[in-house]
Amino acid sequence: MADRIFSGVLFLVTLAYAVIAFTSIKAPFQYDPLGPETWPQLLSVVALLCIAHVFWRPDVHDAGVPRMMWVRLGYMVLLMLAYAELYERLGFVVSTMLYAGTASRMLGAKLVNAAIFAGVAGIGGYLLCSVILDMNLPFGEWFEVLLSSGE
Amino acid sequence: MDTIFSGLATGFMVALTPFNLMLVMGGCFFGTLIGALPGIGPINGVAILLPIAYSLGFPPESALILLAGIYYGAEYGGRISSILLNVPGDAGAVMTTLDGNPMARKGEAGRALSLSAVASFIGGTVSIVLMTLFAPVLSKFAVTFSPADYVALMVFAFASLASLVGKNPTKTLLGALIGLMLATIGIDANTGVARYAFGIPDLLAGIDFLIVVVGLFGMAELLSLVEEQLSGRLKTLPVDKSFVRWADMAKAKWTILRCSIIGFIIGVLPGTGASVASAVAYGTEKRLAGEDGKLFGTGDVRGLAAPESANNAAAGGAMVPMLTLGIPGSGTTAILLGALLMFNIQPGPLLFTQHPEIAWGLIASMYVGNVALLLINLPLVGLFARLLLIPQHYLTPLIAILSFVGIYSIVGNPFDLFLIVGLGVFGWFLKKMQFSLAPIILGFVLGGLFEGNLRRALSISGGDWGILFEDYQSLLLYGLAILVVVGPAYVSYRNRKAAKLNA
Repeated sequence: MADRIFSGVLFLVTLAYAVIAFTSIKAPFQYDPLGPETWPQLLSVVALLCIAHVFWRPDVHDAGVPRMMWVRLGYMVLLMLAYAELYERLGFVVSTMLYAGTASRMLGAKLVNAAIFAGVAGIGGYLLCSVILDMNLPFGEWFEVLLSSGE
Repeated sequence: MDTIFSGLATGFMVALTPFNLMLVMGGCFFGTLIGALPGIGPINGVAILLPIAYSLGFPPESALILLAGIYYGAEYGGRISSILLNVPGDAGAVMTTLDGNPMARKGEAGRALSLSAVASFIGGTVSIVLMTLFAPVLSKFAVTFSPADYVALMVFAFASLASLVGKNPTKTLLGALIGLMLATIGIDANTGVARYAFGIPDLLAGIDFLIVVVGLFGMAELLSLVEEQLSGRLKTLPVDKSFVRWADMAKAKWTILRCSIIGFIIGVLPGTGASVASAVAYGTEKRLAGEDGKLFGTGDVRGLAAPESANNAAAGGAMVPMLTLGIPGSGTTAILLGALLMFNIQPGPLLFTQHPEIAWGLIASMYVGNVALLLINLPLVGLFARLLLIPQHYLTPLIAILSFVGIYSIVGNPFDLFLIVGLGVFGWFLKKMQFSLAPIILGFVLGGLFEGNLRRALSISGGDWGILFEDYQSLLLYGLAILVVVGPAYVSYRNRKAAKLNA
């Protein structure tokens, strides 16, 4: 069942891919015999055949993920999206501390340990990557605004 | 022969500069560290550290030496969690658990670890020597390849991928197709037409290779770790003082040599890497051992030495087609190939003449790395074993933090961070549906090359598809492709028939 749902979704996406390949991709001027559209057309046809085969003879019937696990995984994905959203705004140090703390806490670390881990990851990570290795990490837009308005 | 020696001399001049020497050592150390962590294999380690290595701003040969060190080290470190935890870091280490873990349970963890380190070292060294001998020859031959031959080569690569990797060939092929389709996103280089960009400026240049790699092998792995975490605590066995004995080596020496060669050959086959090599090596040795074969799986030294020498030999073997043909031999080398492309270096037959310092520097650094790994691994194995005790609840967020640092520091675009999370979710679903992810990255890396050569071939012939089947080289490759698909299918058919007769 799980296989069928997944291959069904994959089928629709690939179908959309195929439709675009067959209808809308066109070069205004043909440089080579194949043009930009032939390759995606070929790929989509073979892919659709493969998906049809998976749909016909599925071999995964149950994803084996209990409901609680979906919740946890969803929560983890949300945390990562929030981390991505806040990355530039709050800067590396604060957003990493927030993410590391909440994520490790969710995965079962004790409160104190999670806090220590968050501190080490945020501050230590910034010192190591940005100060020592000279990599490009966000300092935080909001702090920059604060600092510049203070002057 | 002369070219090989002068090439090696150039290579060692590059690899033995203090800075590059430090990078080899550092790469090997961090690679072993990452490989030793339970559940994280070489491919994940290289994927997570690749963007960081890229944005450090090293010259290409140094960055590549660092990455190869990480790759090699991770391949080495994988055995530690296999032996002590019975948890393989990746598919290539599964066979190591079969005899390695029983040895550790018998209280011989130290012996198992040191024996496997020596077996890995020999496997690795044999494969580098073979690579030094064969790579230049192969690259000289490959210079004569026409675009049509390249198309045939790709067909062969994907055929051997589909038939030898994963349980379900259709899913493996579909994975490769997904990778190829992802590679078509962005502006077509020949005509300037945008494909599948939907007007989103971030997609016009195509999805960055690093994002696909980190998404599929970093973030998807993270979600799998979250999922596995609840299903039982891991228990590690202690490392004791026992050490590999001469008697073990004497017993296993032919096994190690045979398996090194098996591993190298399988590694060279495009698409198939350490996992297939170790499985084939283990099966062969078990059959050759005859009556003793029954001892395999209970802690036999040969059963441990076979997969370990084979998977390290395959790691080296997989570099051969990557360096000489531009076609990676495994998922991890596909990532290394992508890394080369990011530095604007096109691997392939001309690499040895155009960038000898990179090709030979890399090979020389592998000699150095192999020795370094043996020296690091024998005394420090206790330290790496202690890493297995790092709780998963710190390790898992750490993967996300490292991935974010690496991806953000490339161009500083927050859109990329969302993309890796999205690809991670997609990759996790694929894994749940028993797709293997390596074919996707192979497809993604080879997409441009495959399409480019096909179009070039048809431009030469003026649109006549017959050009694809014209010369003997391409016909030979199509023949091999058919062989590699039909061969294993025939063997399993015969086995099933034999099993039915016996039953």
